[in-house]
Amino acid sequence: MRDRGSVFRRLLAALAALAVLATAGCSRGDASATRLAVTGSTTILPIAEVSAEMFQKAHPGTRVLVSGVGSSAGIESVSQGSADIGTSSRDLKPAEAGLGLVDTPIAYDAIAVIVNPGNPVRGLTTEQIRDIFEGRITNWKQVGGLDMPMGLVNRDEASGTREAFSNLVLKGKPFDPQAAVLPGTGQVRSVVAGTRSAIGYISYGFVTSEVRALAVDGVEPSPATTADGKYPIGRVLHFLTKGAPTGLAKEYIDFVLSPAIQTKVIADAGFIGIAGKAR
Amino acid sequence: MSAERKTPQAAGDTQDRAAAASEPDAARDPGDLRLISRATYLKEKALQNLFLACAFVAVAGVLLIFLFVGLRGWPIFAKVGLWRFLTGTRWLPSQGFFGVATMIANSFLVMLGALVFGTPLALGTAVFLSEVASPRVRAVVRPAVELLAGIPSVIYGFFGLIVLRPFIAAWSNSLGLGLLTVSLVLAVMIVPTIAAISEDAMRSLSPGIREASYAMGATTWQTIWRVLLPAAKIGIIDAVILGMGRAIGETMAVVMVAGNAPVVPHSLFQPLLTVTAAIVMDMSYASGDHRTALFGLAIILFVISMSFVAALRLLSRIGGGEE
Repeated sequence: MRDRGSVFRRLLAALAALAVLATAGCSRGDASATRLAVTGSTTILPIAEVSAEMFQKAHPGTRVLVSGVGSSAGIESVSQGSADIGTSSRDLKPAEAGLGLVDTPIAYDAIAVIVNPGNPVRGLTTEQIRDIFEGRITNWKQVGGLDMPMGLVNRDEASGTREAFSNLVLKGKPFDPQAAVLPGTGQVRSVVAGTRSAIGYISYGFVTSEVRALAVDGVEPSPATTADGKYPIGRVLHFLTKGAPTGLAKEYIDFVLSPAIQTKVIADAGFIGIAGKAR
Repeated sequence: MSAERKTPQAAGDTQDRAAAASEPDAARDPGDLRLISRATYLKEKALQNLFLACAFVAVAGVLLIFLFVGLRGWPIFAKVGLWRFLTGTRWLPSQGFFGVATMIANSFLVMLGALVFGTPLALGTAVFLSEVASPRVRAVVRPAVELLAGIPSVIYGFFGLIVLRPFIAAWSNSLGLGLLTVSLVLAVMIVPTIAAISEDAMRSLSPGIREASYAMGATTWQTIWRVLLPAAKIGIIDAVILGMGRAIGETMAVVMVAGNAPVVPHSLFQPLLTVTAAIVMDMSYASGDHRTALFGLAIILFVISMSFVAALRLLSRIGGGEE
């Protein structure tokens, strides 16, 4: 079944190669040794991008091309060979375990359950959140809030955040099919920020003052509560390579794991550094 | 005036086109060719072939797309069964359920919604431009309406999400993502199409019937409602069908404001997933049968759009016969 998609993917790869050639300009003679394609999770995009800029400054003549297409697409790309590093905000599925991918965890992330700041509810239990997203609780008064129907906001299936939320909270049970499905973290946040009855979930790194992150089982999401495992909805961010990382890919991954990125860039983005635990 | 008269039928009037095509042929009649130099003759021939190649690329494009989508989507019909694919209401590709009836129903729902709001708006605009507005006013309003057609659909979606949605959300105590929001956004998007073609249809009516109506003492309203609109009805139906095609095929703006829930909504404010939204959202990651099913959806969309085009051609033939 997989090979059915191969023509399309090859076409995409060819287009990507064209784009790379165009950006590489005249230095394309020895481009392969100095060019690195990093693609995948939109959650990891800010980390990968800032790291790429700093990495290029530290290693003149190299180019790191970063794109955010979703975790599943990133895993697909790196296993097909069209990207050197695939980034994923979810663990590999059993079907993906045999692709020969080597996993380097680079950070922790917490998934925040967000509501409108005008909503008086401050916290929920994991069970309540599960019931809400499975469609069994449909009014805020059932969890001690105002008498208004809940506006449930979900992510699309390509989202690594959805995958992680589904595994961590719903334990694989299906989402309420009536929930709105939005194709991006920014859209979820903007809809929740503008709607009093809305509830959704996004990476903790993207929570702003426009929305309120709820306490889960009495624990506020924060870098500290995620790193020590008290906050129940946390996950690991991955860099995936086909085989053990070598050459430029290894240099880049080591750079991301270095203190400069781990304590500054990753912390600034609201994630929790992993350095020291990984190796 | 004569140029304007041709426009509404140009989309489908085979007779007109045949006549236009035969004229250059007559000009290239060997009898005439003796009057021009060999170099000019060769240049003419080369240009003729160039234009033939251009036309061929368009035809080949349609055929290739049809073939590609057909070949990639066909296996899902064979696997699930065409009937079960078309009538199944459960769309859970990751669990092996490939029913697309919900999404097809939703696509038609948003199309109807767009027509309900868009058609009166567009017809009103067309009547205003054709019958009411002074030339100076028309010179301002007409380009403005045409400009509406040039705005990229993602901008409409963004506008719907940021400006329209919060109003509908506050008013309906819901998320504001759903049938009503999509219908309103699509209605504005189809206005330029319907308005421009309807206006052309009304302006290309023989001035005689307008004058006759006024001469018999009819008011402007009576003339518009009883004489001009009925007389231009084929052109107006043409316009509405083109609008339907645009509404059902629209993707980006719909994805942003529809809410994309794979259920048939039972209120105007409930999120819904259309065929186009399903294709664009799932294509980035789908593999295996899921991907094939998306091509199957594309075939269905193709067939729906083709039937609109076929209806257009049929109508223009009827219209051509009447005039």
